[in-house]
Formats: sequence, structure tokens, C-alpha cells
Amino acid sequence: MKNKVKYPDPKFFRFKDQINWKKQAENLKEIGGIVAELLKETDWKDVAGSVKGDVKAFKKRVSHEAGLLKGMSREEILDLIKNGEKQLGKLYRSGKMATVRREWRGVKDTGVDFYEWMRMWGMLLATFSKDLVPAMGGALHYRWMISYFCCHSFMDKNTLGLRGKALKMHHELIYAIFRYVAENLVLLMKGDEKVGNSKELSKKVVLLDEMTMAQIMAGFPDLIGIPYQLMPVFLLSEIDQLACEPYIDAVESYGLPSDTCPVPTSECGACVIDALPHLGACFISSSMPCDGSVMASSYTARRFKDLPTFHLTFPVRYEDESIMNAAVEDIKACIRFIEEQTGARWSWDAYFTAMKRFNEETRYELQKWEVNQTPYPQLIGPCYELFRKWNYEMDGGIDPRILNTFKKVDELMKKAYANREEPWRGKMRHRAIVWSVPAHYYANFSNWLANCWGINVLVEMESLNFTKPLETEDKEEALKDMARLYERMVMRRHTNGGYDHVLTELWRQVEAWKPDLVIMYQHVSCKNMSTLNGLFEDQAREHGVRLIWIEHDLMDPRTVSRKDMRSKVNEYMRTVMREEPLDPSLVDFEDDASW
Amino acid sequence: MKDLKYLLEFENLLEDADNALVRQAQADGRYAIGYTCYHMPEVLLNVDNCFSTRIRAPRSSSIDIATYYMSNYTCEYARSLLERAIEGGYEFLDAIAGVDACSAMNRCYEHIEILKCNSKPHFFVTHTDVPYKIEEYTVDQVETQMRLRLLDVMHEKLGTDTSDAALLAAVEEHNELCDVMTQIGDFRKLDNPPITGYEFHVLCLVSYCCPTPLILPKLKETLEEIKNRRPDEKPFARARVVVAGSEIDDLDFSRLLEESGALIVADRYCYGSFPGRERIELQDGESILRQICRHYMRTSECARYMAQDKITQRRDTIDRLAREYHADGIIFEQMKYCDFWAFERPLASHILEEEYGWPVLSIDRSYNVRGSGQLRTRFQAFVEALEIKRIQKRRAAQEAAGSEVKR
Ligand code: SF4
Ligand code: SF4
Repeated sequence: MKNKVKYPDPKFFRFKDQINWKKQAENLKEIGGIVAELLKETDWKDVAGSVKGDVKAFKKRVSHEAGLLKGMSREEILDLIKNGEKQLGKLYRSGKMATVRREWRGVKDTGVDFYEWMRMWGMLLATFSKDLVPAMGGALHYRWMISYFCCHSFMDKNTLGLRGKALKMHHELIYAIFRYVAENLVLLMKGDEKVGNSKELSKKVVLLDEMTMAQIMAGFPDLIGIPYQLMPVFLLSEIDQLACEPYIDAVESYGLPSDTCPVPTSECGACVIDALPHLGACFISSSMPCDGSVMASSYTARRFKDLPTFHLTFPVRYEDESIMNAAVEDIKACIRFIEEQTGARWSWDAYFTAMKRFNEETRYELQKWEVNQTPYPQLIGPCYELFRKWNYEMDGGIDPRILNTFKKVDELMKKAYANREEPWRGKMRHRAIVWSVPAHYYANFSNWLANCWGINVLVEMESLNFTKPLETEDKEEALKDMARLYERMVMRRHTNGGYDHVLTELWRQVEAWKPDLVIMYQHVSCKNMSTLNGLFEDQAREHGVRLIWIEHDLMDPRTVSRKDMRSKVNEYMRTVMREEPLDPSLVDFEDDASW
Repeated sequence: MKDLKYLLEFENLLEDADNALVRQAQADGRYAIGYTCYHMPEVLLNVDNCFSTRIRAPRSSSIDIATYYMSNYTCEYARSLLERAIEGGYEFLDAIAGVDACSAMNRCYEHIEILKCNSKPHFFVTHTDVPYKIEEYTVDQVETQMRLRLLDVMHEKLGTDTSDAALLAAVEEHNELCDVMTQIGDFRKLDNPPITGYEFHVLCLVSYCCPTPLILPKLKETLEEIKNRRPDEKPFARARVVVAGSEIDDLDFSRLLEESGALIVADRYCYGSFPGRERIELQDGESILRQICRHYMRTSECARYMAQDKITQRRDTIDRLAREYHADGIIFEQMKYCDFWAFERPLASHILEEEYGWPVLSIDRSYNVRGSGQLRTRFQAFVEALEIKRIQKRRAAQEAAGSEVKR
């Protein structure tokens, strides 16, 4: 039997922990104090009132649903049993973090969904069991760890309304992402000085700045690259919309103005309130994707003075090949730096093997685009959007298991396409593409668009990145390709190097995807994008393209709430398009407090 | 103090981007190249038949059209320039030497091109790439960019001689200007300087905005005048400050600050003299262009340089200036909605205060401060705090001396 390579290397999980139990006891005591204080300050009458309210609301909902059932015709009941419910807005209740119950998708799909729900739990438990003590102990040190307890809810909200093969495909994709998240959470906590304190592991960890692509780590199979702020900040804000607020507030009270982008702002805030684990042999900071990110690294450097840092910087005018040498030299310098800090050696073999895989994955990706450009798009929605970004940036062909995910999804997609399936419960009415930066705190917005208005998002700007196969034989050429890839990382590909990459590019993509609507996100504090607002507006008129502008503040829902975002679409669809929603229950509902 | 002979004339020159000296130089057949950023080596724009003018939007008021194009949370400086460009205020320029350093200014240049704000047939905008750290390969990068994206284009479009001899001549002229400005600036080290911070700001701005050959003789004359100028017996200022941070080309800023009782002794901001007015020392063994690029990279205090050595350099420079110019405190300012300085300001302010021991006032400000009441109040409060600190320090020293005598 062929010797299967295990990924991540099991030895990483087996390294010895050096937990400082005295410190854990002190921390536990502090938490105990906080809990006691909370309990003391709790108004128990209020709690009782709230429980009573919940019971009442539950009864009301049950009787309402029973009433609806009674009023249904036989056909409608059969349809409900077979295809599931149609009014998803009823699953939300004002002021509640979770939905009132899970979605009924019809017998078959509910079965699929339940199976996947169990599979996810199984995977999470198995992964956390690889080193349970630090993994769970992390939750006592880092508030953000708690948000990961609601990852099932994240899965649910991203798959809301999906049916058939689309549902299966989404589960495959989100499973792969969460496996990666769970493994990295365990490693982070195991290596963190405050928790597992595994020095052996820490020496093997290379921390990567938030948006720094992982591919460079493919040449270091003995090390593990962890995107430093991904778990405590970036992904967190997608899972729990309120999670980044404390970071933002902390750094603003430190003196940062409130108009900066919440990505670097939250990263700096996480440094200020000490929310980042302390581990690693070194840190690869980067100038990408934008001015704010450049500056955030000075906060990290300040917080972790003992962490050797390399600044990976690439030319902004990336089409200009006359300066390719600077990018290549920087990659070489970065490789040397990692070697010096860790004692590991760069392996071209390992790099080429992973990039061959990445090339294959890119080929699969292009097939998805091909299908989505037809009148029968199949793999659309939030899990796909998230997966594409994650695979391109964080996985980068390194994890061999991901190729299987691609293969499975590809098979499902082709079958679904052959059957001309509809991914959502409701039928597609509009083809849309998303342009500009999507809101993290509303990562499943495309799901709402489809369920409420039948607007199917075929692709997002952030998915449309570098697709040229990377060189896997010639070493100098390979470095150049790596530079080209990094220069075209998510967001940077569009926001850097001139307006052609984002403004003119939109009209090119409109040609290719033939949408009848463009969901135009307006991230109010993204300087790169908002400096083109007027030109987008002017040129959209010239090109006869309909833009629905939707403001948001990326990780801070206090500036523009999810509900405000929805109301922009509602208004547009009703007044400009003169349409009525597919699911009226989704037009107006409260989810300000929900995850 | 007696008014400087050229002060009014200089102030008038700063009323418009397209000033009388710029027009005169153009009438003599020279090309005006506008630029904004220190990453673009000024001296390269003063080669042969070209001259540099650092662009501003003086007296700007409404920036509504620029806000429509660039939205309202973006650098007011970049928006003001765009507004002025749309109004036709930069029709006189023959080129803009742009760098892709910050997104706001880069987009401003792009709009000037797309909206065709300049109709001269030979007009061009360069977009040169600049680095985030100093390594030999990033010096290569800048050198290549300056050659291919700037000098070669100047040669092609304007017929400029960009030979080493021409570069050398430009460096020599530049150094002469720097020597004059440095000598004038050094007076600010004195206890009771014969020049105010406001006046220096005027001189510094004309040195950036006017063609060097035409402004240099007047600046030389001004230097002689200052050498013999008698300062007021009792200085107007109650505290001495270094101003550090992002771009300031607004004379009202200095006026407001000095009206509040502070003397600006050092100007560590873009459009100030640190950096910008240091001699370029050339040596044998390396191309002139490369040495010029290296000089600008080394002296740059731009927050965009992200490597730790540059971050430390920035803090050290402010500290050094404050000590050399005998400042009582530091005003760390940033243009509203500027990302680079928004992040730099709070961190550097805290560090300068906590680790370097300086009193720091940290502010964000509009492109045009006009008579901002809020800013005035903050300046006054800071000056008062500095004054109190000085009195306390003096008293403590006296007490210490007294107890010494008793013993
Ligand atoms: S959203 Fe814009 S400002 Fe924020 S990190 Fe991305 S490119 Fe930068
Ligand atoms: S003030 Fe800031 S945003 Fe404005 S041009 Fe300067 S660096 Fe750019």
C-alpha cells in the first residue's frame, strides 16, 4: 500500500506541552472572580422574565406554524415535506444570537444536513482531542475562542436555503475550512506561552501576517505556517459579527481615528488588548494588501518585541515587470530569513509538489467559473466564496486532502449541471456579480440575496485572482511566478497597481459573466476602493450596468448594520426593479444581536 | 521684529499653484513638473529644461466634486488637489511626477488623467513604484523606476537631457538651495531666533513651489537679512515645539500655532525642511542616479517605510530635532483620513512620550485649518502645559541649587 503523507504532520500535535499550572490557577481564579461578579450583578428577575418570554415566543411560534400547516393544501404539504420550508425569516427572533430552530429542507436534504452536522461535530471533537487540555484551556485566556463554539451556527447560516447537490457541495467546502481552523486553533493554543507553552512546537511555527499567502511555506515541510491574525480577528469577524468591536474600541481609545479600515484596526486593537497568542520562531509581516495593513505591522512589532520579523514587500505597480527582480529578491531574502530563524531548509521538491497540486486546484476552480457563466450556475453562495479565498490564500495547495475536496465537489457540480439544478429553494431571477470588498460581518449576504430576492451571485471580485499555472520546474521562473501570485493576492490584485485592475476590470468581468446586476459593496473606510466611487458611477451609466450600492464597514456592524445593508437591496428591488420578494419573511427581520 | 523684505512677495507667490515665478520660467521655455511626495526625488525634476513645483491647493474651500469622485473618508489633501485640478488649476503643468505611495494620492493622479484635467498635448503623469524598506534590491527598484518611468519619459516627451552631466548640474543647484535653507533654519536653534516658525514655513514652501534658479537669489538675500536681523527683546513665544507628521502646506496651520504662543523650531513633516533640505553628497564609484535615489530613501521619514530600522529612525529623528532645536514639546499631527499617519501618530506619540520623555500633543487636522477654534484651544492648552512644565523644572532646579548652597 502506498505510504500516505499525513497532513498536518502528526508530530506537531505530539510535541510536549509545558503548561505553567500555577499561571493557569491564577487565571482561573481571576475568571472565577469575574464570573462571581457577573452572577452577583445579574438581575435574576430579568433573567426569569427573559426565559418566560422565550417560552411564550416558542409556544406562539409552534402554534403559528401549526396554524400555517393547517391552512395548507395537500400539494403544499407534500411540497413542504419534499422541498422544505419557504419562509426563512421566521427562523430569526429579535435580540437572539441563534436562530429559533434549524431549517426544514425537506426529508432528504434535512437528512443530508443532519449528517453533515454530525460529521462536523465528529471532526471538531477528534481534532481538539489531539491535545485537549491547551485547546480547551485557550478558551479561559482568549475571549475570541468562545466565538468558535458557534461555528455550527456559522455553517447553518451559510447554507440556509440550499438544496440538493448545492447543499452537499457547500458542506464539503465548509468542512475543509473548519478542519483547518480546528487544527490551527489547537496548534495556536498548544504553542502559546500562556496556554500549552510547547517550546518544541513554537520553534516550528512561522507566523504569517493576516493576508500573507501560505505558498512560501510549501517549501518548508518541516515547519508550519499559521496566519497569525486569521483566527483571533479575520475569520472571527465572519463567524461572530460582534467579535471585533472590543478590538476596534481599544485601539480607538488608544488614539487611532475611527475612519481606518477595521481589518488593520482590529489587528492593532488585538495587540492593544493582548488578544494574540504568543508563540512562533518568527513572523512574516507584509505590506499587503494596502496602506492600513502596512502600518498595522508596527503594532505587532511593538507588542512582540522578541519575535524576529521579516517584512515581505512587493512592488505595487505589479504589471511592471522591470521591477520583478525586487520581488524575487525579497522572496529569496524571506526564505533565507526563515531558514536562519528555524534551522529548517527550503525544499524545492516539496514546493513543486504542492504547487502542482495548487495548479490542479486552480484548474478545478476555472471549471466552476465556466459552469457559473452558463445560464445554469451551480456552485454559488457563501461557502464557495469563503473556500475560494481560503484555498487561494491560506491553503495554497499545501494540504493534500484539499484536492479530494475539489474532486468531490467537481463531480457533484457536473451532475447538478447536467440536471440543470437550482441551488436554492427559490428560483433564480437575477444573475449578479459582487464587486469590491464584502462585509465580514455579513459573510452570508449572497445567501440572503438568493433566498429573499432570487439574486444569484455568480462570483465575487475577490475570487477572481491569479489563475496562471505556476512554474513547477525552473527555479528562477518559479520564484517569479510566486511573486506574481503574491502580488495578486485577494484584494491586492484589484486594489493595487492602478484603476484598470478594478474599475476597467469590472466592465471586462461584466462581459464575461453577463450579470444583470452588480452588487457594489461600498466599504466606507477602504481608501483604495472608495477613491473610485464616482468613476464607477459615471462609467456604469456609460456601460448600461445596474449597480446596487451597499454600504458597510467590514468588521464593524455599528456603522452600517446588516439590516441597513438589506434595506438598500429591498429599496432598489422595489423601486427600481419594481419586483416583489421571493420570500417576504426575509425582507424585514432583526439580526443585530445574532452571530 | 522688522518684516522680512520678501515676506509679502513670498506669501503672494504661495497664493496660487501657478505663481508668477512658475509662469516666468515657463515663458523662458522650461517645463513645470508637479509633484507631491518625498518619494519622488525633487532634484530629478530640476534637470535640464524642467523645473519642479510641489503642488498645493491654496485657498481651497469646497471639495464637493472631488468628494463625489473619491468619497468623503479619504485624504483631504488629495481631494483638494483633485478639486483644484477639475477646476483647471493645474492646466499650467507640463507633467506630474507621481509615485504610487499612498492610495489616495495615486487615485488623485489617476483622476487627473481620466477626467482629462490637463489639455496640453505633451502632458503626462508618471506612476512610479516605491519601496517599503531599504535593501540593495530596493535601491535597484527605485533606480530602475526613476530611469524608465521618469527620466526616459521626460526625455521622450519634453526632450530633456537626462545625462549624468545634467543630473550633476541639478544636484549642485539643489545643494546650493539646501545650504541656504539649512543656514536659515539653523537660526531656530537660538534662544531668541531672528525668524519665526511661520516665516520659515513661508520660505520653505516657496523653495518647493518655485523654480530654484528664480527663487534662490531671493532666499540668499533673505539669509543675509536674517543674519543681521534683531529679534524682539522679549520673544512672543511661550514654548518651543517641533511639528511632526504628514503633509502641511497650509500657512494658516503655522500661523494658528504661533498665535497660540508656540514657536515652531523644527518642521518634520512633508513640505517641511526635514527631510528635503539636506545636501546630496555624491561620491565616486556609483552612478549619480543611484546615489540620488539612495539619498531620498535614506533621508525619507515617510510612515510608509515599514521595516523596523525605518520606524526607529522616524522616532529618533523627532527626538534628535527636539533636542537640537531645544524644543519643549512635540506636536504630532496627521492629515484627516490619511491611513499611514493615522496608524503612525498614536503609536509614535505614546512612545515619544513614554520612552523618549517628550510632552506630545497628538492631533488630526483638515487640509485647511483656517481659524479652527478647536485646534486653537488645543494648541493653547498644550502651550500652557509646556509653560507650566518649564516653570516647574526651573523651580526644581532652583530648589536643588538652593539646598546645594545651604549644604
Ligand atoms: S478592505 Fe481595503 S482598506 Fe481594508 S484591508 Fe482590504 S484593501 Fe485594505
Ligand atoms: S496625507 Fe496621507 S493620504 Fe494624504 S497624500 Fe499624504 S500620505 Fe497620502
